[in-house]
Amino acid sequence: MGRPVKAETVVLWLCVALVAIAGLAPIAAIAFESFRHNGHFSLNYYRELISGARFWPLLGNSIRLALATTAVCGLIGVPAGILFAKSDLPLRSGFMWLLTVPFVLPPYLVALGWARVVARIGASASDWLFGFGGCVLVLSSVFLPITILLTFASSSNVDRRLEEAARLVSGWPGVLRRVTLPLSAPGIAFSLVLVFLLAMGELSVPSFLRYPSLPVLSFTQFAASYNFGAATAAAVPLAFIAFVGVFVESAFLRDRDYRFQSTGQTLFISLSRKRSGLAALMAALCFALVILPLAALFSDAFSLTAMHEAMQRAGASVVRSVMYSAVAATILMALGFLLGHFMRGGRQRVLSAFTLALFAIPGTVLSIGLVRLWNTPCTWFIYATPALLILGYTAQYCAVTTRLSLAGLMLIPTSLDEAGRLSGAMWARRLFRISIPLSTRTLVCAWLAAYILCLRDVPIALMTAPPGGDPLPARILTLMANGAPPMIASLCLIMAIASLIPLVILARVIPSRGITG
Amino acid sequence: MSYIEVDRVSKSFGDRVAINQLSLHIHRSERLVLFGPSGCGKTTVLRLLAGLEVPEQGSIRIDGRVVASAGKNLVPPEKRDLGMVFQDLALWPHMTVQQNLMFGLNARRVQKHEAKVRVCDMLRGVGLEHRIDAKPHQLSGGEQQRVALARALVSRPSILLMDEPLSSLDDERKDAIVSDLLGLQSQFGFTLIYVTHDRVETGLLASRVCQMRDGRVA
Repeated sequence: MGRPVKAETVVLWLCVALVAIAGLAPIAAIAFESFRHNGHFSLNYYRELISGARFWPLLGNSIRLALATTAVCGLIGVPAGILFAKSDLPLRSGFMWLLTVPFVLPPYLVALGWARVVARIGASASDWLFGFGGCVLVLSSVFLPITILLTFASSSNVDRRLEEAARLVSGWPGVLRRVTLPLSAPGIAFSLVLVFLLAMGELSVPSFLRYPSLPVLSFTQFAASYNFGAATAAAVPLAFIAFVGVFVESAFLRDRDYRFQSTGQTLFISLSRKRSGLAALMAALCFALVILPLAALFSDAFSLTAMHEAMQRAGASVVRSVMYSAVAATILMALGFLLGHFMRGGRQRVLSAFTLALFAIPGTVLSIGLVRLWNTPCTWFIYATPALLILGYTAQYCAVTTRLSLAGLMLIPTSLDEAGRLSGAMWARRLFRISIPLSTRTLVCAWLAAYILCLRDVPIALMTAPPGGDPLPARILTLMANGAPPMIASLCLIMAIASLIPLVILARVIPSRGITG
Repeated sequence: MSYIEVDRVSKSFGDRVAINQLSLHIHRSERLVLFGPSGCGKTTVLRLLAGLEVPEQGSIRIDGRVVASAGKNLVPPEKRDLGMVFQDLALWPHMTVQQNLMFGLNARRVQKHEAKVRVCDMLRGVGLEHRIDAKPHQLSGGEQQRVALARALVSRPSILLMDEPLSSLDDERKDAIVSDLLGLQSQFGFTLIYVTHDRVETGLLASRVCQMRDGRVA
């Protein structure tokens, strides 16, 4: 007689199957498609791509853009994150959340805001914005929060006793250099890898600011030429780079993934006389990166006529966006929590790397794969419905909810679950009676993060939404071609409000420490 | 025949050998104290007996039944009929004292009425019946220790494992809990395996002392 199958094993495999169907299968479909020409195995698409005059310059542009964005995010984000986590800077919490705002909006909104700013300045600034410099500016302000928040989280978790011990023998610069930064390095390096990969795969900003890059080529081949083979061949290098990035992250940073028994308190650097100067600097940064472009964008939005027209032309998209994002966030929260629960033992490294690779893969690549895989007569019930969009969101963002859940679960002593086990409780009972009640805050955070990410997503919304069922980011992008600027501004404002409400809730939920619900 | 037999068991964590060919025989209702310096493998022995770790080599028998052998746990922790008081107590912070105790009884499908009676009896036994609706953070350190003890014993296990549970208490509270523990042991007759590096606790509790060093019985 065989061994009985445990309930947790069944649930684990169901979760893995869902991630594989949503993420692995489309990527496999892309890889397969790119090697087929007229029904036979062929390297034709790759040959054409590589020998074409456009591929190498576009790849170079994408890499250049990603490197420059990563450098700017590192140079500004790391010191800012340390300052917010470790110093008595006035209004640090407000600065941090304000700098997070561009990340929760569709990236092209920030680009549109800058376009409005330069329209008032004049042609010379416009020349600069529509190109490499403008892309770096917009993408840096969009992805800066990743570096700031991960640096903040990593350095906040450094046990104050370690820093206190160093403080006995060194001043603060020495403590930061020798203790805080090395111990926070895995989190910081991870944030930089993430920024690089996300900038590399970004579609809407280079497309809007007319900077030719590889994701734009892939999208054009797919949407304009409807050339699947060429689109997938252009997408494969992006997927490859994403996998390499994740491999680097998991191979080189994994062994340096320090875990701390934080005392829940952090040691503060007293800035004394530098407080006002640094606060002014931070205020200037917030003004330049957030307030200026968004104020320019929303300045025309507050007219009743514009708002009325916006709701008439895109009201249904607003409802759809909220609904799709809420459904996807609920699935992602449950999936992430279960995967985090399984990964807690540290045995599921492949799964962790795989979900992270799906997060890093450009949305355009994933969407092409999803369309390729599900666009068949017998899977029409998926392809022609929002299910495809939800699958795309699930694949792309399950790494976020999984890692958030894992981080929350790591705060719960394993002995609580072990005590439940010794009490005779089976896995499901322990999950529902111990792990979930102790993780309500983690679950709320995971849901809100997933909701924000789904709501702001552009490529998946653009490429996988069913006909006539486009969510708001895709709708705005479509209307931008021929809509009146005040109406577009009103739509952007609605989009921003829908994204910022959960961010405000998140900002209120996160600071309350403690593991109980 | 011994009630618990640990036969040439080894366990490593990465490169570090925690338990090295350990053999141990424990009789029914014995009060065995595993004594030794930090890192000598005492806690690992408890966790192996509980089924929370898997031995790489050797076997473990409880009441004549092989529960773990050759890299496999043959009997899961919940089926080994034992209770454990963890070093950090591991009281579920979102449950009241009563819910902490009821959890195991519900999982073992003890009748609701009987479970309530057993919980009340057990709390009376450790002098905490008036704290039945309190949550762990509302209890003093000594009260938390007693709840952890009551929770481990409410299912009436044959074996009680205790992992340095008194290390954070002052002498007066320690004496009171040791006295409770001895009273409960004579009442229920469970086999007690107690881990400590404290000579005073060893003297108070042990019917036999097993000195450990570098993963072996010294």
